[in-house]
Amino acid sequence: MPPAIKDKSKKAAPLPVKAPTARKTKFQADLAPSEDSMVRILKTELQMTSNTDFLSDALALFRWAVSERKRGHRIVSESSTGERKILLFPRLERVAPEVTLPHVDIRWTEKELESLAELASGQPAEPTDALIRAMRQ
Amino acid sequence: MAVTIRRLEEFDEVEGFDCGDEPLNNYLKRHAWTNQQKVSIGVTYVAVDESAPRTVLGYFTLATSSVPRERFPKKFVRGLPTYDLPLILLARLAVDKRFSGRGLGHALLSDALKITLRVADEVGCRCIITDAYPDKAGWYARYGFLPIEGGAAAGPQKMFLDVRTIRRALSSESSSAERK
Repeated sequence: MPPAIKDKSKKAAPLPVKAPTARKTKFQADLAPSEDSMVRILKTELQMTSNTDFLSDALALFRWAVSERKRGHRIVSESSTGERKILLFPRLERVAPEVTLPHVDIRWTEKELESLAELASGQPAEPTDALIRAMRQ
Repeated sequence: MAVTIRRLEEFDEVEGFDCGDEPLNNYLKRHAWTNQQKVSIGVTYVAVDESAPRTVLGYFTLATSSVPRERFPKKFVRGLPTYDLPLILLARLAVDKRFSGRGLGHALLSDALKITLRVADEVGCRCIITDAYPDKAGWYARYGFLPIEGGAAAGPQKMFLDVRTIRRALSSESSSAERK
Protein backbone atom coordinates (compact mmCIF):
# COMPACT_ATOMS: atom_id res chain seq x y z
CA MET A 1 0.00 0.00 0.00
CA PRO A 2 1.52 3.30 -1.04
CA PRO A 3 2.28 5.61 1.74
CA ALA A 4 -0.26 8.29 2.34
CA ILE A 5 0.88 11.53 0.80
CA LYS A 6 -0.35 14.70 2.26
CA ASP A 7 -1.70 17.18 -0.19
CA LYS A 8 0.39 20.26 0.57
CA SER A 9 -1.55 22.41 -1.79
CA LYS A 10 -4.46 22.34 0.56
CA LYS A 11 -4.07 24.75 3.35
CA ALA A 12 -5.21 23.73 6.76
CA ALA A 13 -8.22 25.62 7.96
CA PRO A 14 -7.13 28.47 10.29
CA LEU A 15 -7.84 27.96 13.91
CA PRO A 16 -10.51 30.22 15.29
CA VAL A 17 -8.88 33.27 16.85
CA LYS A 18 -9.89 33.83 20.40
CA ALA A 19 -10.09 37.38 21.68
CA PRO A 20 -7.41 37.84 24.32
CA THR A 21 -8.93 37.81 27.74
CA ALA A 22 -7.34 39.26 30.85
CA ARG A 23 -6.05 36.39 32.89
CA LYS A 24 -7.51 36.28 36.34
CA THR A 25 -5.14 35.81 39.18
CA LYS A 26 -5.99 33.54 42.01
CA PHE A 27 -5.40 34.96 45.43
CA GLN A 28 -4.92 32.69 48.37
CA ALA A 29 -4.26 33.82 51.86
CA ASP A 30 -3.55 32.05 55.11
CA LEU A 31 -5.74 33.72 57.67
CA ALA A 32 -5.59 33.31 61.39
CA PRO A 33 -8.91 32.03 62.82
CA SER A 34 -9.65 35.50 64.21
CA GLU A 35 -9.05 37.10 60.81
CA ASP A 36 -11.15 34.48 59.08
CA SER A 37 -13.93 35.17 61.51
CA MET A 38 -13.54 38.90 60.89
CA VAL A 39 -13.89 38.35 57.15
CA ARG A 40 -17.04 36.34 57.68
CA ILE A 41 -18.55 38.96 59.98
CA LEU A 42 -17.71 41.76 57.58
CA LYS A 43 -19.15 39.86 54.64
CA THR A 44 -22.35 39.35 56.57
CA GLU A 45 -22.52 42.99 57.62
CA LEU A 46 -21.86 44.14 54.08
CA GLN A 47 -24.24 41.54 52.65
CA MET A 48 -21.54 40.04 50.47
CA THR A 49 -21.49 36.43 49.44
CA SER A 50 -18.30 36.06 47.47
CA ASN A 51 -14.72 36.40 48.59
CA THR A 52 -13.92 37.99 45.23
CA ASP A 53 -16.35 40.85 45.84
CA PHE A 54 -15.01 41.23 49.34
CA LEU A 55 -11.41 41.42 48.17
CA SER A 56 -12.31 43.73 45.31
CA ASP A 57 -14.04 46.21 47.65
CA ALA A 58 -11.27 46.00 50.22
CA LEU A 59 -8.74 46.66 47.48
CA ALA A 60 -10.67 49.71 46.23
CA LEU A 61 -10.80 51.11 49.75
CA PHE A 62 -7.10 50.47 50.36
CA ARG A 63 -6.18 51.99 47.03
CA TRP A 64 -8.13 55.13 47.90
CA ALA A 65 -6.44 55.34 51.31
CA VAL A 66 -3.00 55.01 49.73
CA SER A 67 -3.73 57.69 47.13
CA GLU A 68 -5.04 60.10 49.78
CA ARG A 69 -2.03 59.57 52.03
CA LYS A 70 0.32 59.90 49.04
CA ARG A 71 -1.13 63.36 48.52
CA GLY A 72 -0.42 64.14 52.13
CA HIS A 73 -4.10 64.04 53.09
CA ARG A 74 -4.96 62.64 56.46
CA ILE A 75 -7.81 60.17 56.85
CA VAL A 76 -10.15 61.36 59.53
CA SER A 77 -13.39 60.04 60.97
CA GLU A 78 -15.72 62.55 62.53
CA SER A 79 -18.50 61.71 64.95
CA SER A 80 -21.85 63.46 64.93
CA THR A 81 -20.60 65.57 67.85
CA GLY A 82 -17.56 66.70 65.91
CA GLU A 83 -15.04 64.47 67.65
CA ARG A 84 -12.33 63.60 65.17
CA LYS A 85 -10.09 60.59 65.01
CA ILE A 86 -7.15 60.41 62.66
CA LEU A 87 -6.24 57.10 61.09
CA LEU A 88 -2.62 56.22 61.79
CA PHE A 89 -1.70 53.12 59.87
CA PRO A 90 2.06 52.52 59.82
CA ARG A 91 2.12 51.04 56.31
CA LEU A 92 0.22 54.03 54.93
CA GLU A 93 2.72 56.40 56.52
CA ARG A 94 5.37 54.91 54.24
CA VAL A 95 3.76 56.60 51.23
CA ALA A 96 3.01 59.92 52.93
CA PRO A 97 5.16 62.79 51.70
CA GLU A 98 7.41 64.48 54.19
CA VAL A 99 6.11 67.83 55.30
CA THR A 100 9.40 69.03 56.61
CA LEU A 101 10.14 72.35 55.01
CA PRO A 102 13.54 73.97 54.86
CA HIS A 103 14.29 76.99 57.02
CA VAL A 104 15.14 80.39 55.57
CA ASP A 105 15.85 83.81 57.00
CA ILE A 106 13.57 86.69 56.10
CA ARG A 107 14.71 90.29 56.14
CA TRP A 108 12.49 92.45 58.31
CA THR A 109 12.48 96.17 58.90
CA GLU A 110 11.91 97.35 62.47
CA LYS A 111 8.47 98.64 61.51
CA GLU A 112 7.53 95.34 59.89
CA LEU A 113 8.51 93.52 63.08
CA GLU A 114 6.29 95.88 65.08
CA SER A 115 3.42 95.20 62.73
CA LEU A 116 4.05 91.44 62.77
CA ALA A 117 4.21 91.38 66.58
CA GLU A 118 0.94 93.30 66.77
CA LEU A 119 -0.77 90.88 64.37
CA ALA A 120 0.65 87.74 65.97
CA SER A 121 -0.14 88.80 69.54
CA GLY A 122 -3.72 89.83 68.77
CA GLN A 123 -6.84 87.74 68.48
CA PRO A 124 -7.04 85.78 65.23
CA ALA A 125 -9.32 87.24 62.59
CA GLU A 126 -12.48 85.49 61.51
CA PRO A 127 -11.96 83.48 58.32
CA THR A 128 -13.22 85.05 55.12
CA ASP A 129 -15.61 83.23 52.78
CA ALA A 130 -12.79 82.69 50.29
CA LEU A 131 -10.65 81.09 52.99
CA ILE A 132 -13.49 78.80 54.05
CA ARG A 133 -13.97 77.78 50.41
CA ALA A 134 -10.24 77.15 50.08
CA MET A 135 -10.24 74.86 53.10
CA ARG A 136 -13.31 73.05 51.78
CA GLN A 137 -11.62 72.27 48.45
CA MET B 1 -9.23 69.30 33.58
CA ALA B 2 -8.36 67.01 36.49
CA VAL B 3 -5.64 68.81 38.40
CA THR B 4 -3.32 67.20 40.90
CA ILE B 5 -0.98 69.14 43.16
CA ARG B 6 2.21 67.38 44.22
CA ARG B 7 5.87 68.05 44.94
CA LEU B 8 8.06 69.11 42.04
CA GLU B 9 9.88 66.16 40.50
CA GLU B 10 13.15 66.16 38.58
CA PHE B 11 11.73 65.43 35.14
CA ASP B 12 8.74 67.75 35.26
CA GLU B 13 8.40 69.93 32.19
CA VAL B 14 8.96 73.48 33.31
CA GLU B 15 10.57 75.06 30.25
CA GLY B 16 7.25 76.01 28.66
CA PHE B 17 5.92 77.60 31.83
CA ASP B 18 4.94 81.25 31.44
CA CYS B 19 3.04 83.16 34.09
CA GLY B 20 3.91 86.51 32.54
CA ASP B 21 6.46 87.37 35.21
CA GLU B 22 10.08 86.63 34.37
CA PRO B 23 11.45 86.24 37.93
CA LEU B 24 8.69 83.72 38.74
CA ASN B 25 9.25 81.84 35.45
CA ASN B 26 12.97 81.87 36.00
CA TYR B 27 12.68 80.58 39.56
CA LEU B 28 10.72 77.53 38.43
CA LYS B 29 12.98 76.82 35.47
CA ARG B 30 16.37 77.46 37.03
CA HIS B 31 16.18 77.28 40.79
CA ALA B 32 13.14 75.40 42.13
CA TRP B 33 14.55 71.89 41.74
CA THR B 34 18.01 72.82 43.03
CA ASN B 35 16.56 74.70 45.97
CA GLN B 36 14.36 71.76 46.84
CA GLN B 37 16.74 68.85 46.39
CA LYS B 38 20.26 70.16 46.74
CA VAL B 39 20.35 73.22 48.95
CA SER B 40 17.04 72.65 50.73
CA ILE B 41 15.85 76.22 50.98
CA GLY B 42 12.34 75.78 49.63
CA VAL B 43 9.93 73.03 48.61
CA THR B 44 7.99 73.57 45.41
CA TYR B 45 4.59 72.05 44.77
CA VAL B 46 3.24 71.95 41.23
CA ALA B 47 -0.20 71.68 39.68
CA VAL B 48 -0.41 69.23 36.78
CA ASP B 49 -3.27 67.95 34.68
CA GLU B 50 -3.78 64.19 34.70
CA SER B 51 -3.76 64.15 30.89
CA ALA B 52 -0.23 65.62 30.82
CA PRO B 53 1.15 64.75 34.23
CA ARG B 54 4.61 66.25 33.66
CA THR B 55 3.56 69.67 32.40
CA VAL B 56 3.54 72.26 35.14
CA LEU B 57 0.49 74.55 35.06
CA GLY B 58 1.17 76.40 38.28
CA TYR B 59 3.32 76.20 41.37
CA PHE B 60 4.02 77.48 44.83
CA THR B 61 7.09 77.31 47.04
CA LEU B 62 7.13 77.01 50.82
CA ALA B 63 9.82 77.32 53.44
CA THR B 64 9.82 77.77 57.18
CA SER B 65 11.29 80.69 59.04
CA SER B 66 11.23 82.20 62.48
CA VAL B 67 11.67 85.55 64.13
CA PRO B 68 13.87 85.56 67.23
CA ARG B 69 11.90 86.92 70.16
CA GLU B 70 14.57 89.49 70.99
CA ARG B 71 14.10 91.11 67.61
CA PHE B 72 10.55 92.18 68.43
CA PRO B 73 10.11 95.66 69.90
CA LYS B 74 9.80 95.33 73.69
CA LYS B 75 6.36 96.88 73.92
CA PHE B 76 4.91 94.07 71.78
CA VAL B 77 6.58 90.96 73.17
CA ARG B 78 4.22 90.72 76.13
CA GLY B 79 1.45 89.24 74.01
CA LEU B 80 3.74 86.74 72.35
CA PRO B 81 4.92 83.33 73.53
CA THR B 82 8.31 83.32 75.23
CA TYR B 83 9.95 81.67 72.25
CA ASP B 84 10.97 82.59 68.75
CA LEU B 85 7.98 83.01 66.46
CA PRO B 86 7.86 80.09 63.98
CA LEU B 87 6.21 80.81 60.65
CA ILE B 88 5.80 79.52 57.12
CA LEU B 89 6.85 81.54 54.14
CA LEU B 90 4.77 81.25 50.99
CA ALA B 91 7.70 82.34 48.88
CA ARG B 92 6.15 82.11 45.44
CA LEU B 93 2.84 81.29 43.81
CA ALA B 94 2.25 81.48 40.07
CA VAL B 95 -0.09 80.14 37.41
CA ASP B 96 0.74 79.73 33.73
CA LYS B 97 -1.18 82.48 31.96
CA ARG B 98 -2.65 79.99 29.47
CA PHE B 99 -4.51 78.43 32.40
CA SER B 100 -5.40 81.54 34.35
CA GLY B 101 -9.02 82.14 35.28
CA ARG B 102 -9.69 78.45 35.97
CA GLY B 103 -9.30 78.53 39.71
CA LEU B 104 -5.76 77.15 39.73
CA GLY B 105 -4.49 79.95 41.98
CA HIS B 106 -7.27 79.15 44.44
CA ALA B 107 -6.41 75.43 44.32
CA LEU B 108 -2.70 76.12 44.84
CA LEU B 109 -3.31 78.46 47.76
CA SER B 110 -5.75 75.95 49.24
CA ASP B 111 -3.03 73.27 49.19
CA ALA B 112 -0.43 75.68 50.59
CA LEU B 113 -2.74 76.45 53.52
CA LYS B 114 -3.46 72.78 54.15
CA ILE B 115 0.27 72.05 54.22
CA THR B 116 0.65 74.97 56.62
CA LEU B 117 -1.85 73.33 58.97
CA ARG B 118 -0.05 70.00 58.72
CA VAL B 119 3.26 71.63 59.54
CA ALA B 120 1.60 73.51 62.40
CA ASP B 121 0.26 70.19 63.70
CA GLU B 122 3.54 68.37 63.38
CA VAL B 123 6.21 70.90 64.27
CA GLY B 124 4.34 74.08 65.17
CA CYS B 125 4.00 77.38 63.36
CA ARG B 126 2.04 80.49 64.16
CA CYS B 127 1.31 82.09 60.80
CA ILE B 128 1.93 82.07 57.10
CA ILE B 129 3.65 85.04 55.51
CA THR B 130 3.82 85.98 51.87
CA ASP B 131 5.51 88.68 49.83
CA ALA B 132 2.72 89.79 47.51
CA TYR B 133 3.19 91.93 44.45
CA PRO B 134 1.25 95.16 45.11
CA ASP B 135 -1.27 94.34 42.37
CA LYS B 136 -1.88 90.89 43.95
CA ALA B 137 -2.27 92.07 47.55
CA GLY B 138 -6.04 92.38 47.05
CA TRP B 139 -6.24 88.75 45.93
CA TYR B 140 -4.48 87.56 49.10
CA ALA B 141 -6.64 89.89 51.21
CA ARG B 142 -9.73 88.02 50.00
CA TYR B 143 -8.35 84.96 51.83
CA GLY B 144 -7.78 86.97 54.99
CA PHE B 145 -4.11 87.86 54.58
CA LEU B 146 -3.43 91.12 56.42
CA PRO B 147 -0.76 93.60 55.35
CA ILE B 148 2.37 93.84 57.48
CA GLU B 149 3.07 97.55 57.60
CA GLY B 150 6.47 99.16 57.43
CA GLY B 151 7.99 97.67 54.29
CA ALA B 152 9.48 99.56 51.39
CA ALA B 153 7.00 101.84 49.64
CA ALA B 154 7.68 100.18 46.30
CA GLY B 155 8.07 96.45 45.93
CA PRO B 156 6.36 93.44 47.44
CA GLN B 157 3.97 93.77 50.37
CA LYS B 158 4.52 91.32 53.23
CA MET B 159 1.19 89.81 54.29
CA PHE B 160 0.18 87.74 57.32
CA LEU B 161 -2.40 85.02 57.95
CA ASP B 162 -2.79 83.51 61.42
CA VAL B 163 -2.81 79.70 61.61
CA ARG B 164 -5.68 79.98 64.12
CA THR B 165 -7.75 81.71 61.45
CA ILE B 166 -7.01 78.88 59.02
CA ARG B 167 -8.09 76.37 61.66
CA ARG B 168 -11.31 78.27 62.22
CA ALA B 169 -11.94 78.14 58.49
CA LEU B 170 -11.50 74.38 58.63
CA SER B 171 -13.93 74.04 61.52
CA SER B 172 -16.43 76.38 59.80
CA GLU B 173 -16.12 74.08 56.86
CA SER B 174 -16.92 70.99 58.93
CA SER B 175 -19.76 72.66 60.81
CA SER B 176 -21.30 73.87 57.56
CA ALA B 177 -20.92 70.32 56.17
CA GLU B 178 -22.73 69.01 59.27
CA ARG B 179 -25.60 71.42 58.71
CA LYS B 180 -26.11 70.13 55.14
